[in-house]
Amino acid sequence: MVLTVYCWLLCLYPGSYRREFGEEMTSVFCKARSDLPPALAAKISFYRREFCGLLSGALRAHLDRLFGPAVPFRRFDMQPQFRFPRSTVLLMLVIFAGTVLTIAKASSIAGARPGSVWPSFVSVVALMLLTMCTAAAVVVGILHALRRSGVYRLENVQGRIDSVESNGRVP
Amino acid sequence: METLALSEPVLLLLLSLVEQPRHGYSILKDVESMSGGRVLLSTGTLYGALQRLLTEGWIERVEEDDNPRDRRTYRLTSRGRRNLQLEVERMRHLTKLAALRMGRKEA
Repeated sequence: MVLTVYCWLLCLYPGSYRREFGEEMTSVFCKARSDLPPALAAKISFYRREFCGLLSGALRAHLDRLFGPAVPFRRFDMQPQFRFPRSTVLLMLVIFAGTVLTIAKASSIAGARPGSVWPSFVSVVALMLLTMCTAAAVVVGILHALRRSGVYRLENVQGRIDSVESNGRVP
Repeated sequence: METLALSEPVLLLLLSLVEQPRHGYSILKDVESMSGGRVLLSTGTLYGALQRLLTEGWIERVEEDDNPRDRRTYRLTSRGRRNLQLEVERMRHLTKLAALRMGRKEA
């Protein structure tokens, strides 16, 4: 089951990337999974890290393919390991609010009398706005996670090294 | 001023390849062990970094006939080794500077 989800998420990567690394990534994932300690917390942490890493990696691979390596992330700092940023709390609150609103909307539709069009219309517009905000927050969350995944400064370092080599001194 | 340092995961990844060529899972475990369990790479992050390092020519695949496709081995290139040395040199310089400044403040 988990392996199937992993393979589905791998499908989010560009085809060329999948052909080059797909088998290897799946094999490493299987080995890492078989070495997991029995504690539930360790398992949850492992799957969270793996699936978030895959999502951000897939987005990154597509951005690289479209815009070239590291263009939008040149100045981003990197962190030693993937962690949920504080903004995740906000994101989860937005999603929670969306769920509550959807349930409220469904209840109001179930008990609505014919003719009360305007309140429903306002709710639908509010729901649409909320959905758009949620989508935007998800994208921002993924981008935020991306910058914490730790692979984006090689180009800068290479530039620095080239400059060192051309000037012949270490700054 | 723009910060140019390598990230800790990438630095550890390169350091794990200094002594010997390794395959993906071995790199994963070595990084975890070197950092005392603090840096835990996901496969997405690991292969993102490997792909970037391959593209930049810092590492290369070891071509062996008996190497299965799902267990390919990577090693540092001479370029990668030189760049790593420069990075370590930069960090040493920073450490010296920090020690000097902090010593001066304490004195």
